[in-house]
Amino acid sequence: MALSIEVYQALEDIVGRENISEDPAILDSYRYPMNHTSIHMGPFFDTFTPRGEAVLLPGSIEEVQTIIRICNRYKIKFKASSTFWGAMGYPSDENTIQLDMKRMDRILEIDEKNLFAVIEPGVIGATLQAEAMKVGLNSHIIGAGASCSPLASATSYRGFGPDSIFMGFGDENMLGLEWVMPNGDILRTGSLGCGFGWFCGEGPGPSVRGIIRGIEGAKGAMGVFTKIAIKLYPWPGPAGLPVGGTVPAYKAVLPDNFRAYTVAFPTWKAWADACYEIWDAGIGYVAHRQYNMFGRKLKGAMISVLSDPTKTLYDLEELLENPDIQKLTEEMKRDFQIVLAGMTPRDIEWQEKALDEILAVTGGWKVEAMNDPDIQKWSLLYLIRMGHKNLNLVYGGGYDGCFGLGGPPDFGTARVEEAGAFKAKWEEKGDMVDAGGDCMIGGIATIGGGGLCVWENFAHFDPHDRKSTEGTYEFFDASFKFGREKKYPPGMERINSVSRGSDGRTTPKEERKRILSASRQPTVFYYQRKIKEAFNPNNLGDAYYVTLED
Amino acid sequence: MALEDYRADMERCSQCSYCKWIPLDQIKSWRFAKGCPSIAYSHFNSYSARGRYAVALSLLKGECDYTERVLDIVYKCQACGSCDVACKVCRYNLEPLETILELRAKLVEDGQSLPQHRAIIDSLRKENNMVQKPGAERGKWADGLDVKDLTGGEKAEIVFHAGCRFSFDEERRHAARTAVTLLKNAGVDVGIMGKGESCCVTRAYTMGYRKEFTESAESLIEAWTKAGVKTVVTSCSDCYQAFKRLYPKAGSRFKVLHTVELIDRLIKEGELKLTKRIPMTVTYHDPCHLGRQGEPYIPWEGAEKKIRNQIVVYEPRKPRYNGAWGVYDPPRDVLKSIPGLELVEMERIREYAWCCGAAGGVREAYPDFSNWTAAERIEEAKATGAEAIVSACPWCERNFIDAVNINGDKIKVFDIAELVGQAM
Repeated sequence: MALSIEVYQALEDIVGRENISEDPAILDSYRYPMNHTSIHMGPFFDTFTPRGEAVLLPGSIEEVQTIIRICNRYKIKFKASSTFWGAMGYPSDENTIQLDMKRMDRILEIDEKNLFAVIEPGVIGATLQAEAMKVGLNSHIIGAGASCSPLASATSYRGFGPDSIFMGFGDENMLGLEWVMPNGDILRTGSLGCGFGWFCGEGPGPSVRGIIRGIEGAKGAMGVFTKIAIKLYPWPGPAGLPVGGTVPAYKAVLPDNFRAYTVAFPTWKAWADACYEIWDAGIGYVAHRQYNMFGRKLKGAMISVLSDPTKTLYDLEELLENPDIQKLTEEMKRDFQIVLAGMTPRDIEWQEKALDEILAVTGGWKVEAMNDPDIQKWSLLYLIRMGHKNLNLVYGGGYDGCFGLGGPPDFGTARVEEAGAFKAKWEEKGDMVDAGGDCMIGGIATIGGGGLCVWENFAHFDPHDRKSTEGTYEFFDASFKFGREKKYPPGMERINSVSRGSDGRTTPKEERKRILSASRQPTVFYYQRKIKEAFNPNNLGDAYYVTLED
Repeated sequence: MALEDYRADMERCSQCSYCKWIPLDQIKSWRFAKGCPSIAYSHFNSYSARGRYAVALSLLKGECDYTERVLDIVYKCQACGSCDVACKVCRYNLEPLETILELRAKLVEDGQSLPQHRAIIDSLRKENNMVQKPGAERGKWADGLDVKDLTGGEKAEIVFHAGCRFSFDEERRHAARTAVTLLKNAGVDVGIMGKGESCCVTRAYTMGYRKEFTESAESLIEAWTKAGVKTVVTSCSDCYQAFKRLYPKAGSRFKVLHTVELIDRLIKEGELKLTKRIPMTVTYHDPCHLGRQGEPYIPWEGAEKKIRNQIVVYEPRKPRYNGAWGVYDPPRDVLKSIPGLELVEMERIREYAWCCGAAGGVREAYPDFSNWTAAERIEEAKATGAEAIVSACPWCERNFIDAVNINGDKIKVFDIAELVGQAM
C-alpha cells in the first residue's frame, strides 16, 4: 500500500525532496536479509523484511516530531534506525515508513568535568570514542562493534560489550535523553526535564528508564530518541589510538600502562573462580571471551590469519596442521581476553600483580603465544576499538548466536561443554562450520564491575547456500529445545521470534500469544500492553515492544 | 564475469555498513571518519556498497526496474574503492568494488547509461580521449621537449605515457613536461608516443564500457611492443592503475611504474639530487588508483570451494586486493627528500584516503557531487595547517584546483613532479 499523494507530500514538505524517497531501489536497500545475523530468529533463506512505504532522512527533532504527528494523523507506522545492524531496525509490516537517522549524527557536547557526551542517533561508537580520547576519556562500545550507534544501544537494546567490566552496558550509561514519544509529544528525561542539564537520567525530572527500555529495550517500536547524554570513563592513553600495521592486521602501539592478555585455565571451575577474583580485585578495562567465536578448534589458526596481512582463509588448513598452532589452540581451550589499563604506573603494576596472583590461585596462565608483542598490539586494538566485529561473518557470511548462558560464571561454565558437544554433533552434519562446537563468546562482566556473565554460542553458516541456511535453522530449533530441556535461560537463537516471523513480518498474533503465554512471567507482557496503550495509543510501532493481549 | 556471478556476494553481504566508513580502527575524529563519498553526500543506504548490493540483487530478481533513481544510485559513485578496503577488514570473501563495476557494465549493456557518459564515449571513439578535445592536439603537451618520439621509429626502453588529462589540460601539462625532463636529466632512456598516444580508457571502464577498454588496451600494447618498450611510466594514477592492474588481463607484460616510483628510486640511487630549498608545509593526497587500487596484479584463475563445511575459500589461493600493497611510501619519501619541505599528514591516508571526487565518471556526470567531494578533502588538508596539497594524479589535481576556485579557497595544489623540478 503506497502512501497517498497527500501524505507523501506532507512528509516531503517536512524533510525536503532530497530526503524522502519511495523509489523501489531505495526501499530495497532498507530491507534486511533474513538469511543473516537475524538477531535472533531464523535464519530464513531468501527472505527479506518487508518494503517500507517510504524512507525519510530527518535532520532535526522538529522534523521527527512533525513526521510522527503526521503518522498519528494518518495511522502510518514508523520505524527509526540509526546504524541498521540487525533486522530489528527495519519495518515489520507494510504501511510503515522507515526513518533513517543518519543525518542526525552530531556529537553536541563532551562534558569532561562531568564525564558525559551528548550525542545524536547517527554517531557511531568509533567516532564517539575518538573524540572522547582527545580529552582523556573513553566510551563504552557494544559487542556489536564500533560501527553501531551508542544512542541506539543505550536507549533501545541491551548494549553489552567487552568493556562492560569497566564501562558498564547500555542501561547503565544512559543519562538525560530527548524522546519523541509515539504520539508525537517530546519528553526530556531526568535532570534535562527540569532544565538542569544532561547529567542525570533519573531526576530531578521524569524517569522513564523502565518504560522505554527495561533490560531489553523497545528496539525502535516506541517512538524516536533524538539525543542522549551518555557516560564517559577515564582513558589513560594517548589522545588518539596510535594505529600501525598493515590492513587488515592493524595494531595499536600503546604505552606500557596497557596490557592485553589471553588467560586460560585448567578447568572451567578455575575459569569461573578467576572471574569472581577479578571482580573482587576490581581490575580490568576489557574482559571478554572474544576470539573463541572463531571456534575452539579454529581460533589459534584464525588469530594467525587475522594478525598477518599476507594470509587468507585459504591458509587455514595448513595452519591447522602446524604443531605450534595446535599447541596454542589446546592451550587456550578455556580462555578469555583481558586488557589491563593502569591509571598510573603504580596502578598497572598493582593490576598486573593482582592478575598474576589470581592466575596462581586458580592455576591459570597467560597464553604465551598471545604475549608476542605483535599479537598483543593487534589484540589491544581489536578489544579497545571493536573495529573488527564483523569477523563474526568471516567464514561463510552468516552467523547467529544460540543458547544464551546468562548468569554467574558458575552457570555458564557448568554447561559450556554440554552445549558445545551438542553443537559439535550438529556441525558434523555439514551445514555449519566445523569449528569445534564451543564457539561461546561473551562478557566476563556484562554489567559494570562484574556480577554477570552472558555467553552465546556462535553458529557459522553460508547465507548464500540454502542447505546451509536451512540446516542452521534446524540446528537452532534443536538447540532451543535442548536449552529448554536442560533448563537454560531462553535461547538467544529464538528470542526475537515473538516479534518477527519467518516471512520477515510481524509474528502473527496467535503465535505471539502462544509464545508469551508459555513464558515464566506473562504478566509482564500484559503490563507492557498497558504502557503501550498509554504511550502509543495508535499502535504505530511494531511487535519488538512485546505485549500480550487479554 | 557477469552480474549474476556476484549474486553470492550480494547474498553474503550482511548490510553491516562498514563500507560507509574508513576502517573503524583508523577513525581519528568525528569530522573525518567517513570513507564513502557517495553515501556521505546522498545519505540513503542505496548509495553505499551495501545498498548497491541490495539494489543489484533486486534488479537480478526483477523486484525493481531501471528508473532514474537506479541510474543515479549506480553512477553517483567514484568507484574509489574505499568501501572495498573497509569491507575487507573483516570480510575475506566479498568484492564490493568489483560488483559495483559489474553493475555498471550490466547497465551499459542494457542501454542504461548516462547521457553525459555517452557524449564522452562518443568523443573517445572519434577523438581517442576522455576530455572531449580534438585528437589531433594530443601531442602538443610535449612541443619543444627534446624527447624521443617512439611513433617515428625511434626506440626506448621506457615510454612515458602522458594520458588524456596531462595531454589536453593546458594548465596541468607542465607537470608532465617536468617529469619527462627529470627522467631525461637523470639519464633515463625515455621516449613518448606523442600524437600517437592512445587513451588508456580506464575511465570508460569504470563507467561500464568494457568493449572500448579491451580494444584500447590491445592497441596500446601493440604500439608499445612495436616501439621496443620494456617499461611504461606514467604520471597519471588512472593510467597507472589501468596498465598495472587491468592491462595484464589483456596480455600486457610490460613493467609499469608511476613517475613517483621512478623518481624515488633515482633519488635513493643518487641519480637525482634535490638541492634547492622549498620552505613550505604540504600534505599528500593518495590517489585511489595509485594507492588502494594500485596494488600489483597477480594472475589468478580458479573457483570457490568450501573447507571445514562452510568456510568459503578459493582454489587455488586467490590474491586479496584490499589496499595493503598500493604505492604509498615512494611519494612520501620523495617529498621528505626535498630540502625545507615539511610533510604533514591528513587523517585519512594511504588505503583509507578520501577520494578527490573526479573518478568513476562522477566529474563528468555529477559536477556538484564531484566538487563537494574535493572540497571535503581540501577541508581535511587545511585542517593539517598545510599550505599546499600535493598529489600524483592530474585528475585529482584538476578536481582540487577547480574546487579551490569554486569555493574561494587559498590552498595551493601541486603535482609531486613539479615540486621535485623546483627543488633541482
